[in-house]
Amino acid sequence: MVAKVAININGRLFQEEVPERMLLVDFIRERAHLTGTHIGCTYEGVCGACTVHLDGEAVKSCMLLAAQADEHKVTTVEGLAPDGELTPLQEAFKSEHGLQCGFCTAGILMNMTDFLKRYPNPSEQEIREGLIGNLCRCTGYVHIINAVRKVVQENQSRKT
Amino acid sequence: MQAVKSRILRPAHVIDLQALSELKFVKAEKGLLTVGAMTRYVDIVSSDSIPLELIALKDAASRVGDRQVRNRGTLGGSLCWNYSAACTPAAVLALDGAMNLISPDGSTRQVAADDFFLGPLETARKEFEILLSVDFKLTDSKSGSAYKKWGLVTDALPVIGIAACLHFSNMDCCDYARITLTGLSGAQRCLGAEASLVSTSANTEQITEAMMIACSEISTYTDSIATEDYRYQLIKTIGLEVIETAKKRAFSLA
Repeated sequence: MVAKVAININGRLFQEEVPERMLLVDFIRERAHLTGTHIGCTYEGVCGACTVHLDGEAVKSCMLLAAQADEHKVTTVEGLAPDGELTPLQEAFKSEHGLQCGFCTAGILMNMTDFLKRYPNPSEQEIREGLIGNLCRCTGYVHIINAVRKVVQENQSRKT
Repeated sequence: MQAVKSRILRPAHVIDLQALSELKFVKAEKGLLTVGAMTRYVDIVSSDSIPLELIALKDAASRVGDRQVRNRGTLGGSLCWNYSAACTPAAVLALDGAMNLISPDGSTRQVAADDFFLGPLETARKEFEILLSVDFKLTDSKSGSAYKKWGLVTDALPVIGIAACLHFSNMDCCDYARITLTGLSGAQRCLGAEASLVSTSANTEQITEAMMIACSEISTYTDSIATEDYRYQLIKTIGLEVIETAKKRAFSLA
């Protein structure tokens, strides 16, 4: 059985016929060919590497059917810097060495971008709790947290 | 979704209810708090309408999975799935929620939480019924509630989770207590523990005694996650903390 879907990904409309059982993450990778969204835990909803924004909110794209995103807006990591200019969070990950192998990074960037919109001035504990849905096996999280804190500090000092 | 992917469920059809905004709300009026079935965990956590006496619902919703999961997961989804180690069924059972269900012919019925949760993955919802909302009665007496769990990692499924709701006529007399447990075989009440707290001041010794009674009423088990004794210890430790928190909240001390 197939479903017709029209999904806006990073501002571009993808109209496709897909198997009803197709997961959003597979649609993003195989139909939109946006391979920045990763599959880390064989679709179990555990690792968070496939985190994207659905209508602006961080969700795990392996836990959604592509059909559920029909007529919705999806943003992937490629959509953060469409013109090649990195966001402050991406810059901070670079300067604070917030990644090593980089496999989990796309999902963490998408989750923390949404997190910082909702919590502009989080404590370190709140950042740690915000990261619970993203597994990183390289960094030990310290540099990731430093990168997020750097953006928070930059935003706060800009305000004062 | 996990159940479909792991083929525990093999549905012939899947209907996405996300677009039904009528099922997404938190509303307090006339002594009643009503939460729509499609209200997401994130919306429960950020709602200003949930009074302190029902705050166990927020305690539970704020610690489900992770923030990506809470951006999607709904109260109704959790209650109707009734997983053996789910947080919100225990909280709703402690808060004596009442489920409003609708049939395909448009007729509705209300089922109390006590009658709704039948066992792991089993509820009183009939095959073609949809959960519309959950009602919680607000009381005039001093009342407080709380929920806490322990899992292998932060915000994981509970190995043991406990919810409590207490009403007090005055500082020295608890006249209503509901204590529920999750993690073993779905949401279940600790009836002996509840009865032992009524007509007491619910002080530390009395709560400790109540949780000893709870342990005598409940069978735990040993597996790779925890031993039988460790689970009993969790029931006692978390139970004491949760009930003391509920009591403090009843008197607005926490």
